[in-house]
Amino acid sequence: MENTKIIVGLGSCGIAAGAKKVFDKIQDIQNENNLKFDLQKTSCIGMCYREPLVEIIDETGSYMYGEIDEKKATEIIEQHIFENKPIKDYVVKSDNFKTVDNTFIDDQVKITLRNCGYIDPENIEEYEARDGYRAIKKIAGQQVSRLDVIQTIIDSGLRGRGGGGFPTGLKWKFANNNKAEDKYIICNADEGDPGAFMDRSVLEGDPHAVIEGMIIGAYAMEATGGVIYCRAEYPLAIKRLEIALEQARAKGYLGKNILGIHGFNLDIYIKEGAGAFVCGEETALIASIEGERGMPRKRPPFPAASGLWKQPTNINNVETFANIPWILINGAGEYAKYGTEKSKGTKVFALAGKIVRSGLAEVPMGMSIKDVIFKIGGGIQNGKKFKAVQMGGPSGGCIPESLIDTIVDYDSVNATGAIMGSGGMVVMDEDTCMIDVAKFFLDFTEKESCGKCTFCRIGTKRMLEILNRITDGEGKEGDIERLEELAYQIKDSSLCGLGQTAPNPVLTTIKYFRHEYEAHINDKKCPAKACTKLLTYEIIPDACTGCTVCAKKCPTDAIDGGRKEVHFIRQEDCIQCGSCYTKCKFDAIKVY
Amino acid sequence: MSDKTNIILDGKKIQAQSGETILDVARRNDIEIPTLCHDPRLKPFTSCYVCVVEVQGMRGLQPSCSTKITEGMKVTTNNSKVRKGRKTALDLMLSNHYADCAAPCKQTCPAGVDVQGYISHIDKGQYHEAVALIKDTNPLPAICGRICVRPCEVACRRNLLDEGAPVGIDYMKRFASDFDLESKDKWVPDLEKSTGKKVAIIGAGPGGLSAAFYLQKLGHQADIFESAPAAGGWLRYGIPEYRLPNDILQKEVDNITELGVNIFYNKKFGDNLSYADIKKDYDASILTIGSQKGTLIGCEGDDAENVFSGIDFLKEMEESGKPYDFTGKRVAVVGGGNTAMDCCRTSIRCGSTEVYVIYRRTEKEMPANPIEIHESKIEGVNYKLLTNPVRVNKDEEGKVKSVTCLKMELGEPDASGRRRPVPVDGSEFDLEVDYILAAIGQKTQVEFLDNINKITDEGELKLNRWGDIEADPETLQTGISSVFAAGDGVTGPSTVIAAIAQAKTAALSCNQYLNGAEITPPKKEFLSKKDNFKVQVSSEYEGCFPTQLREEMPVLDADNRVNFEEVELGYASEEVAKHEAQRCLECGCVKYFNCDLKDYATEYEVDQNKFAGDYNEYKVDFRHPFIEIDNNKCILCSRCIRICKEVVGADALGLVNRGFHTFVAPSMADRLQDSTCESCGLCISTCPTGAITENVIFKPGPIKTDKVKTICNYCSVGCEIILDHKSNFVMKVSGSEGKINPDGNLCRYPKFGFNYLNDHARITKPLLKEKGKFKEISFNKAYDIIIDKINQVNPDENAFFAGARLSNEEMYLIQKMARAGVKTNNITSLHYLNRGDGYTFNSRNNVPFDQIKGASKIYLLGSEINEDNAVVGFMINNAQHENNVPVELITTHEDSSMVRKVDNVMKITSYYHFIKAVNYYLVSNNFHNAMYISDNCDGYEEYKEELLKENFDELVRLSGVPFMDTVVEFAKSFNNEMNAIIVFSEKEISGNASYELFNLSMLTGKLGKTSNGLVSLKEKNNSQGLFDMGICPKLGVGTQPIDDPDLVKLMKKKWKVDELPTVINESQFEHLEEGDIKNLFFFGEDPLGTAKKAVRVAGWISVADFVVVQDAFMTKTASKADLILPSSFPTESGGSFTNSQKVYQEFEPVFVSEVDRLSHEQIADLMKKLGVKQKTNLDDIRVESMSLLSTVKENRLKFVYTHNDNYHRVFNNGCDSITKYFEDAFEKAFED
Repeated sequence: MENTKIIVGLGSCGIAAGAKKVFDKIQDIQNENNLKFDLQKTSCIGMCYREPLVEIIDETGSYMYGEIDEKKATEIIEQHIFENKPIKDYVVKSDNFKTVDNTFIDDQVKITLRNCGYIDPENIEEYEARDGYRAIKKIAGQQVSRLDVIQTIIDSGLRGRGGGGFPTGLKWKFANNNKAEDKYIICNADEGDPGAFMDRSVLEGDPHAVIEGMIIGAYAMEATGGVIYCRAEYPLAIKRLEIALEQARAKGYLGKNILGIHGFNLDIYIKEGAGAFVCGEETALIASIEGERGMPRKRPPFPAASGLWKQPTNINNVETFANIPWILINGAGEYAKYGTEKSKGTKVFALAGKIVRSGLAEVPMGMSIKDVIFKIGGGIQNGKKFKAVQMGGPSGGCIPESLIDTIVDYDSVNATGAIMGSGGMVVMDEDTCMIDVAKFFLDFTEKESCGKCTFCRIGTKRMLEILNRITDGEGKEGDIERLEELAYQIKDSSLCGLGQTAPNPVLTTIKYFRHEYEAHINDKKCPAKACTKLLTYEIIPDACTGCTVCAKKCPTDAIDGGRKEVHFIRQEDCIQCGSCYTKCKFDAIKVY
Repeated sequence: MSDKTNIILDGKKIQAQSGETILDVARRNDIEIPTLCHDPRLKPFTSCYVCVVEVQGMRGLQPSCSTKITEGMKVTTNNSKVRKGRKTALDLMLSNHYADCAAPCKQTCPAGVDVQGYISHIDKGQYHEAVALIKDTNPLPAICGRICVRPCEVACRRNLLDEGAPVGIDYMKRFASDFDLESKDKWVPDLEKSTGKKVAIIGAGPGGLSAAFYLQKLGHQADIFESAPAAGGWLRYGIPEYRLPNDILQKEVDNITELGVNIFYNKKFGDNLSYADIKKDYDASILTIGSQKGTLIGCEGDDAENVFSGIDFLKEMEESGKPYDFTGKRVAVVGGGNTAMDCCRTSIRCGSTEVYVIYRRTEKEMPANPIEIHESKIEGVNYKLLTNPVRVNKDEEGKVKSVTCLKMELGEPDASGRRRPVPVDGSEFDLEVDYILAAIGQKTQVEFLDNINKITDEGELKLNRWGDIEADPETLQTGISSVFAAGDGVTGPSTVIAAIAQAKTAALSCNQYLNGAEITPPKKEFLSKKDNFKVQVSSEYEGCFPTQLREEMPVLDADNRVNFEEVELGYASEEVAKHEAQRCLECGCVKYFNCDLKDYATEYEVDQNKFAGDYNEYKVDFRHPFIEIDNNKCILCSRCIRICKEVVGADALGLVNRGFHTFVAPSMADRLQDSTCESCGLCISTCPTGAITENVIFKPGPIKTDKVKTICNYCSVGCEIILDHKSNFVMKVSGSEGKINPDGNLCRYPKFGFNYLNDHARITKPLLKEKGKFKEISFNKAYDIIIDKINQVNPDENAFFAGARLSNEEMYLIQKMARAGVKTNNITSLHYLNRGDGYTFNSRNNVPFDQIKGASKIYLLGSEINEDNAVVGFMINNAQHENNVPVELITTHEDSSMVRKVDNVMKITSYYHFIKAVNYYLVSNNFHNAMYISDNCDGYEEYKEELLKENFDELVRLSGVPFMDTVVEFAKSFNNEMNAIIVFSEKEISGNASYELFNLSMLTGKLGKTSNGLVSLKEKNNSQGLFDMGICPKLGVGTQPIDDPDLVKLMKKKWKVDELPTVINESQFEHLEEGDIKNLFFFGEDPLGTAKKAVRVAGWISVADFVVVQDAFMTKTASKADLILPSSFPTESGGSFTNSQKVYQEFEPVFVSEVDRLSHEQIADLMKKLGVKQKTNLDDIRVESMSLLSTVKENRLKFVYTHNDNYHRVFNNGCDSITKYFEDAFEKAFED
């Protein structure tokens, strides 16, 4: 039993699902029974839909148990540890046999997430044991020049994973070209897209990879200061980053003359953001670090020329940095092996919405969206029909079923009108109203607009008002054209990405689901039956038993009919609340 | 890299400076690009997106304010895409702009009379100006002030606050116009040059008279042809005299004929006046024929005798000059309009005791003015409402016996929105009457139509389907291009004000016709309206404004109304009118005339309702005493926030919330005055809308003002300012792009310290104290008394004191009078009294303000610069903000307000010892700049010898620095700093400390080098002038020793005197203390009011035999004087000031003086009596004073060793009562 390891996933997702209790339970059992196994913590491995996850590694191999609560934890210790009998029913992943979740794992390629769920993020040695800090040591040891580092990144084809997709190596080259006494490197950890959580996962699961990536970047561009701009809503990520930074300093990965590289001095500090979505935009992020209100400014000048405190500044996303050490160790060619011609490597996606397996998946670029959703994600919940997937969060757009074979690379996704963005994939099924989807995302951007530009501040508000009108059954002829006109003007006349992309969800839904808009406006009907104000409830006389339940529950007394008589809904009084529909035990209410 | 960039701007090749923005380049090339968020004083921001342009190869539209040009860039600034983008930006902005551009009163008035504007004039007692403004749109204000139907008052928002009691708009109009009519200098419009064109106007009613007024003003000859024997039309023949007396009518008619308008009476068009004659003699014509024919009831029996149309009844009486005799008769008036009211009230006056008004709806629906209904009831009229006549019953003679009526009830609303009356079955009843007057409408008489159409060959004059003249509704041109029409003849019976409005439109169209221009209505002005968002309700106003009862119109006693005397008597006094003016809620925006947002909205034809939706509503914040914030009008350009940060450095404003709900608010405070606001008002100066404006104590209008430039007379920086005034009443002050303040920045002193210019408590006549009381005397008498007093004592028993706010010219004459006339050198300024002579030279070789931005480090030495010399403070802050120049504050203050604005603070206890210690260190270590010193300075060795006798440790101890090393570190770093500037203020730094600062600057070789050395700041606008003009016992003009033989010779020659005083009593302070002075003369100084120890000054004054004060106000000193001379303001006299940097700036007289003799003229008058002739022309004075400079000798810099500190301030506020007045008022304004 001394060689047995029990590892509990304690990422935010696991903790939210109850993993902390499970961990405590196991610890209690261990203490009570004075058991010798090695109880460890790790972070999210991506199978959020199966949390809490407990992995047992013994001589026979690894067994990942999913959806474990305290009771099940007791069971698996009793059976697996005491009796050496793994409970196969609870295992979601094992080296020894296939499970239903196999397809989630098998098609993934883990570079960014290489350590997530495998190491204890609060233990630098575990990181070092898996090639951690080897890249920077290699640079120091072999005296790799700055330009060579940059060239490697250029050759790898890595593009900015924050959403912009700008070639990282080139960005570094620009930063390197701008000479100044002070230069800054910033890690953008202000992940704000609704439904996206890959950055959080990386920060919680493998903070040293990000820090090492930043150290390498700082070396390449001769940065003198580093900042991780992380939203305050990620307390666990911040805590683990703080621990990791402290450990890195203690080991000399940060500080003066790092690893003996003369004149290479760097420290990194964490700046907690207050949760404004717009602070993910480079210039707003810089303003926020400087203590100003987070508002973007016109570029140029780009941060590479004049950024934090007016000094040359390079900003990369968490995921981008996490890739850097791997590329330097394994070589640009190894990285570029994955992906398509213009989009190399892998990309982490956050699967959410009506998908069976919601969680994080890292796939090679070039995989089709269909494979991501159906093979890895397990398809649509409850056997419903796939309708669309929103990619790129509120700045992105909807990809309809007809384009589901589109492959994930920057250019292919852009061609649909959506964007790769930070990798959020929100899956919708046939019950989703696409106008409602557009409304959801626009509502988000409208509220998150910093308020600076007229078009973004008021234009998105007006678009949202039109969408609300449409879903309330008060759409007017010409509303679609009004939306389109405003949308293009907002895109044309906004300072930053937030405004320039805010209309995308509306534009793509109009592009692919124009008929739904028309149905709302012209027929006052919601084809997905999601917009309650557009529904008609009617009692099917043949099915009605006259039980009177619906009439009793109707808040507006809009249902007539005596006991054992067929009931009838007076449409003029019906407020479409749906309570009759949910209460009827005989499926006698028709909705259309 | 070349510093030139070539671009193609609107197809034109242009070479511009690299690094410029598209907007910069376009503006320089006279290409107009609209922008709201850009202010050249600030860094580009880019939020409004109104300045967008199209750049070839760039996606979307580019904001020109922040897009820098690049080589070969092709820019289009004006195409349909660009215009559409700008328009949408404005549409969106204004869809969330819950505010009124113009007040509802003005908007409701058919003629658009600027009510809020004339109320503002009345508030200031400017009645002629009020009339002038009214006559812009209504040339008959005394008439309308009596009989207008007042839609303005219905719309007035006061109704919502003081229920049903609108502002007395019309009564105030009447008051102002009666005042004007009765005054000797009534307002007369300026006429444009005669065009030689003639216009015939048919009808001398309100429309005809108005059209004639405007045409005549435009330089055309207007001739009116009137069928009646007198002018006025309906005003005379319809409206009874108890409402509109004929003499008032005649006065306003006369006002119009006095402009050259001819009225030909008894000329009936189509009858004894043919269109052929008109066509022959006139270039155009305007038909203002009215609607003349009365209609009868239109029921069975209305042909009975004693049934008339109401208008015929009224007209007949005016024509005959005799009232009907209705004694004992019963009269029924049918109708509910104002004519019905005129008929019923006239009937009462004709002796009837039983008068009925029969109206088929209720009182609420009656079109008559409520006040008329009210008065008629008082006079005893009976109302038969919801009643309709159906038959007139005759007696056997065919006379009216009775009228049969039906009762009515109200049904569904009809097309007019009023509920339609429906007869009640079986409700018939008879009303016995002797007369029936039908006041139910009139018809237009157009018998001349054929006459015109037969003669003309330019089209056809047509009628519309109501039988009125057809004319273009916007231009009022008829089917015949040279014929225009206006008034009731076009609209059918309507109101006087509507006729006036149309007449102006017709006159302007006619003017276009006469000028050969295209006939177009004026471009529609964009007006934001609160009503576009929601119906206004009381709760929005309650609690925001005080309630105030309406000044009711005094009227004739009801029992006294048997005659036709005017019932309404007019406001009793100016006070009543001014008090009523206070009730105006100022609904219209004060920025109406200069709002960028409104101008662009008009240009881009914005539709406020296009994007109607949710909007933000904020309470207007009046709590700051000088600055008013109305977030409803804010477009979030953040200019206020940015100027407060980038220029002022106060950082008092910020943005709150996100997205649509973002708004501007004081930083970290609820009220602006509780934030770090410095009350400079730069936020106001930059706001492109009316969101941040001046909070003033008077009704600001808005009214169109005149602008004049002058130089600020508070501190010594010397900013050029613009006074916005109307008839000398200063409404607002803003920055001009002056020599010193090229950005137009201003501080709070000029911005908010202008109320003294409007102060009625001003002294305008010489005052002599007799038995403790002042009485007005003539200038001559005053001069005689003064000369007599001077003659009674020895010359040196007189002492003259000139204030630092006076002009150079005034100062020069005062010292010349003392020296050449009185023969004494006892001439100085209390401002510098007993403060040593260290200030005499401290403006020498100063760093010009515009080099401040080139500093590598700035030291503020004892200068609360943001309060005392804020505009220089802005320059320093800007250097700090833009160029990262570090600023260090060295201060003795425990709680300096500058602390949070600087990078470093050093607290010490003595400036003098600190600087001296620094000098000691530099000298003792031989760190002095020997080459600079030998090239430029004298006296180093002597200075060194004296200085090194002192004890360094003791100096350091006395300086109060926290550590010994502080002095050494400062000395080293200052010495090594490439471009170090020390900014210091005379308010804090003693004369001897100034000497030591000069010594320091010379030791380090910094004095006089670019962006290096000293900036000395004096207290008053012309502190420097005192030295330059010889206001000093021992110095003459140009700070030359007064006993310099060359100067003495020259003075004698130029001043044409044989003798000049030779005694020099250097310390006037001792003189005063010892009571040697018999006659004291104070020019523009208030020692008693500003003294640190008033008892001491009271002693000087009480010891003196005779005290003369020249000032504009009854200051404390003036009240103790024996004789006061009234002083003129610089805005009245003109002159020049010399600022703290020796920049000499002249300014013109811009206002007519309220004082008969200007200040300097009074001095010249006195000099004449003393036997010294003096020219009073400013230029002559300047030439004369300059001529004395020819003996000035070249002066090398000189080290001056000082023994002790000499900080001996005797007075506060620069010894200036006006500064004190503002500083006290400022402090008081912020007391809670």
